[in-house]
Amino acid sequence: MIRFEDVSKTYPNGTVALKNLSVEISKGDFVFLVGSSGSGKTSFLRLVLREELPDSGAIHVSGKDVLKMPKWRVPYLRRNIGCVFQDFRLLPNKTVFENVAFALEVIGRPTETIKNQVTQVLDVVGLADKADNLPSELSGGEQQRVAVARAFVNRPILLLADEPTGNLDPANSEIIMQLLERINKAGTTVVMATHDKGLVDRMRKRVIEMVDGELVRDESRGLYDTEVSTGF
Amino acid sequence: MLSFFRYTLRETGTNLWRNRLMTIAAILTVTVSLFLVGAALMLKQSASQASSHWQQGTRVTIWMKPTASQAEVSAVDSQLRTLPFVKSCTFYTQQQDYEEARKLLPQSEFSVLQPSDMPSSFRCTPTAPNNVFVVETSFTGQPGVLTVTAPEQQVRQMEKVIRIAQWVFVGLAGILLISATVLILNTIRMAIFARRREVAVMKLVGATNWFIRIPFVSEGFFQGLIGSGLAVGFLAVFQTWYPLPVLFRLSTTAFIGSASVVAILGVSIGSIGSALAIRRFLDV
Repeated sequence: MIRFEDVSKTYPNGTVALKNLSVEISKGDFVFLVGSSGSGKTSFLRLVLREELPDSGAIHVSGKDVLKMPKWRVPYLRRNIGCVFQDFRLLPNKTVFENVAFALEVIGRPTETIKNQVTQVLDVVGLADKADNLPSELSGGEQQRVAVARAFVNRPILLLADEPTGNLDPANSEIIMQLLERINKAGTTVVMATHDKGLVDRMRKRVIEMVDGELVRDESRGLYDTEVSTGF
Repeated sequence: MLSFFRYTLRETGTNLWRNRLMTIAAILTVTVSLFLVGAALMLKQSASQASSHWQQGTRVTIWMKPTASQAEVSAVDSQLRTLPFVKSCTFYTQQQDYEEARKLLPQSEFSVLQPSDMPSSFRCTPTAPNNVFVVETSFTGQPGVLTVTAPEQQVRQMEKVIRIAQWVFVGLAGILLISATVLILNTIRMAIFARRREVAVMKLVGATNWFIRIPFVSEGFFQGLIGSGLAVGFLAVFQTWYPLPVLFRLSTTAFIGSASVVAILGVSIGSIGSALAIRRFLDV
């Protein structure tokens, strides 16, 4: 699904984002991306979305070489990728329904399809009764569920989440995680950058840890921190 | 495709309304500048129409008093025949001049005229343009002669004035067109800024670049279109109601020609303004 080969990226101001990163994420995986702020997690996600280009190396996303992809193909790549962010990024002047519908509208889906799919996905995230509310009328957890609904409404094959629980209390974080797990079970690959130790430790999914742009750990069923050998 | 059109129109309408003060400023600037462009074009058209009419053959006209006797007319006639610097002359009777006046004068002025009020005239072509003055001086004040006119002189004078007026119009219009373009650019920039969240989400969910751009392009396009529409309207009112001498009146075809240039210009500056704003401020 995602393959990075020896990818390096340095920003014009000299900050090293990624250093010789090689990693492969298969279809259907659920991956936690952990590491301190500035370790390169967000850069990794931006490179997958082709919001940025690396200085060297190769990146394949769903079988396509994103570096060789012509610029006009990029939107079509992104239609297969859902995104969720820490700050929700909902449109404040649109209702819940309109926010989710907007994602389908701007890729030219017919009105009837939009109506069906949005209704269905709002049901999945448990917000069918809030369809006509504005984001400002919802709690943080509900807003993030709207964002998840928007990311998932087009049934992407890949879902990127950049600290989706960063602004939420534990109970709401739990709801979001259940949603992401459900989406993953339905066949979508999920990559989630996070600082939430409790979540990572409880879920026991694959963990990729980055330090200063380098991959330092890649474990299936890992924990947030390196397991310390206790000597037993 | 249908939903795309609906989407574009809706977004364009929302943008225009949200930015209505700037939009009105931009549209009015387009209107004023294009009105000047249109006026300059029409001025040129009617000037060339009038002067080509005047220059047909006759270079100098000797008008006889309506009361001139036959003998006085014959005297002028024979004198003209002997003058070496007159190439040819045509005599217009009072009736013929009356008929010509019918074409040149507004109905209200013409209706009070009688053929007997009209001067008869000799329309003469001198051998060289400068000989116009010789004819003028030798016949002015002669018994039975009302006046001697050399339209060419007046036409030249008038053409000069019109040419200057035209350049002033075009210059002013040019400056205003530039400011109209900048104003449109700025309204689009504000629209882009107002919708930066939407644009970010659109990019994220995979809207194509043109899908993102087109509502902004069409916003500029409509500003130009409305502005030029108003300008054409004002020009039409001016053309219909301003009491221009018949000779200067433009035919409908000629007016449509000028109006089309105005419309094309308006739509172009609208599109150019928004294209520049998109290039500079819309990061897609």
